[in-house]
Amino acid sequence: MESTFDSLLLGFSVALRPDVLWYAFLGCLVGTLVGVLPGIGPLAGISILLPATFGLDATKAVIMLAGIYYGSQYGGSTTSILMRIPGEASSVMTCIDGYAMAQKGRAGAALCIAAVGSWIAGTFGVLVLTVIAPPLAAFALGFGPPEYTALLMLGLIFLAYMSSTSLPRTLLMAAVGLLLGTVGIDNMTGHFRYAFDIPELGDGIGIVPVAVGLFGLGEILSTPSANVIGKVLTPKLRELLPSRTEWRQSAMPIARGSLLGFLVGLTPGSAHIISSFLSYAVERKLSKHPEEFGHGAVAGVAGPESANNAASTGAFVPMLALGLPTGPVTAVLMAALLIHGIPPGPTLVNDHPDVFWGFVASMYVGNVMLLALNLPLVGLFVNVLRIPYAYLYPLVIMFCIVGVYVVNSSIVDVWIMLGMGVLGYLLRKLGLDPAPLVLGLVISPIFEMSLRQSLIMSNGNWTIFFTRPIALVLLVVAAGLLALSGLSLLRKRRDWRAQLAEVEAGE
Amino acid sequence: MTLRTDHVAGIAAIIIGVVVLAFSGDLPLGSLSFPGAGMWPKLICVLMIGLGALLCLGASSSRPIAEVGWGDMRHAALVTAATAVAIAFYSTLGFIVIATFLLAGLVMLERRHPLVALAYGASVSVAVYALFTILLKSPLERGLIGF
Repeated sequence: MESTFDSLLLGFSVALRPDVLWYAFLGCLVGTLVGVLPGIGPLAGISILLPATFGLDATKAVIMLAGIYYGSQYGGSTTSILMRIPGEASSVMTCIDGYAMAQKGRAGAALCIAAVGSWIAGTFGVLVLTVIAPPLAAFALGFGPPEYTALLMLGLIFLAYMSSTSLPRTLLMAAVGLLLGTVGIDNMTGHFRYAFDIPELGDGIGIVPVAVGLFGLGEILSTPSANVIGKVLTPKLRELLPSRTEWRQSAMPIARGSLLGFLVGLTPGSAHIISSFLSYAVERKLSKHPEEFGHGAVAGVAGPESANNAASTGAFVPMLALGLPTGPVTAVLMAALLIHGIPPGPTLVNDHPDVFWGFVASMYVGNVMLLALNLPLVGLFVNVLRIPYAYLYPLVIMFCIVGVYVVNSSIVDVWIMLGMGVLGYLLRKLGLDPAPLVLGLVISPIFEMSLRQSLIMSNGNWTIFFTRPIALVLLVVAAGLLALSGLSLLRKRRDWRAQLAEVEAGE
Repeated sequence: MTLRTDHVAGIAAIIIGVVVLAFSGDLPLGSLSFPGAGMWPKLICVLMIGLGALLCLGASSSRPIAEVGWGDMRHAALVTAATAVAIAFYSTLGFIVIATFLLAGLVMLERRHPLVALAYGASVSVAVYALFTILLKSPLERGLIGF
């Protein structure tokens, strides 16, 4: 514990340097804007701005990009409460009671509760991350290729199990990503795979063009400007403070949302989205007045907003400690670290303590910054919402092109981005979630390498996965989840995931 | 039989799986003790074909394809075409020219005044060029005409 405290002090000595503070602030500001603006999610924001970090060192780069991620969770609530448009997918649940509160003249209070809840949850998440990430990383140092193979297998199945769409749909999307991840030179034998004599494909298909295409351009293609409503409620600064009753009503939902969000954040999938849905359901279930939900219940804002922030912090634990992304956003953050020559994973804490602890400490600072940014400057962010969408979306397209091109100065990447944009549009039409595709693309090389290394280690004996205790436990859990999914499929029972899908479809 | 979204997704997955398998002929499968470059992609293709078939079999719970709304198709097609033209000429004409025309063109598609659209396109593209080239030290494409 003492060494953790000393390490955290080292982290603060990095995070409180003026230049690092500046980039953390920039990340939080851009993140809030990304969250506020409908049509640009955190993934597109991070991907587009990734090239802008090339001139920075790894610490500043990852601090700025992470700031965009958790900043967008804060910003997403603004549009939900003031316009009933989720600026970000994880703010969907806030729309319901947040907007209802705004219509009752409590917009300021709703914004304040969302911001304070986000701050408490974010800080709680970082505290737990500080305590559990280093020992988890130390434990993961004992992992060999079979354990990693089993862990990745479990991750994919968990992702599919948690998904609100069906298991085959999620696994199919992940399989498309895994297949795309095979393009390029095979690291073990040097074979060119599916490169079709295009030299740029030798290095494989990048995460940035795929992520920007699917989530940035894809979103623009399916959002004609006529569908974007411009009516914005403007809260007055003096109305920002909630009443004593509202504070009391929000205390327990914030606490529950923080804990639930962090736990869900550790699991693969769109944790920040799932956590807010789960938190809303839990609060409605526990409430003495469930009939208030949908009509401006304070708990309906406090719980989901806390949960999505805690989840976004929880998602950093597997990324930092195990080197495994749990979702597309952490995948792009991992790519950012790799671009700067720093492999995330169990060795990160010991090999690059300044990056690891600087990053952790910056999140404490970032959460305070966001609280300071979001409340007094809410009027400014509201004005950003008044920019007509007809001017905004061409700008986003231009940033998509520039953002993708600058990574490798490759026009092939920009064509891939366009192709992925069209694919993203079609996937939305078919009701398929593109997030597992990005995750599959990222883990494909790690998965393939660990599987092949395991087989070489065991001289072709498949039982290696069942003779090593950790791998066996992970595979048993994966099999259990598959069995549970199969069972609910056979019984055609509507469980919480089916209900979640219905709510998502309704929104 | 009603054609549903999962039928389309499942059939597409099966076709992709089969086509990629056909293209993987020259990739060695190797052996279990030393898997070749073709093992992993072929394994995924088989998985895709299986999942595609599973999706087709359970498609009855998905939406009929006829119910999918295509009201945004015109917007999507126009934006895709404009972006494709911009990408095709990006290296030749350079960032400022392409970005100006892309922004102005898309804004005009939204029925804004052409002069306003052009002024918006030119000013934003110059500002973004300066941001990337001067502040972020990530030079953008200058093109044949030099800027």
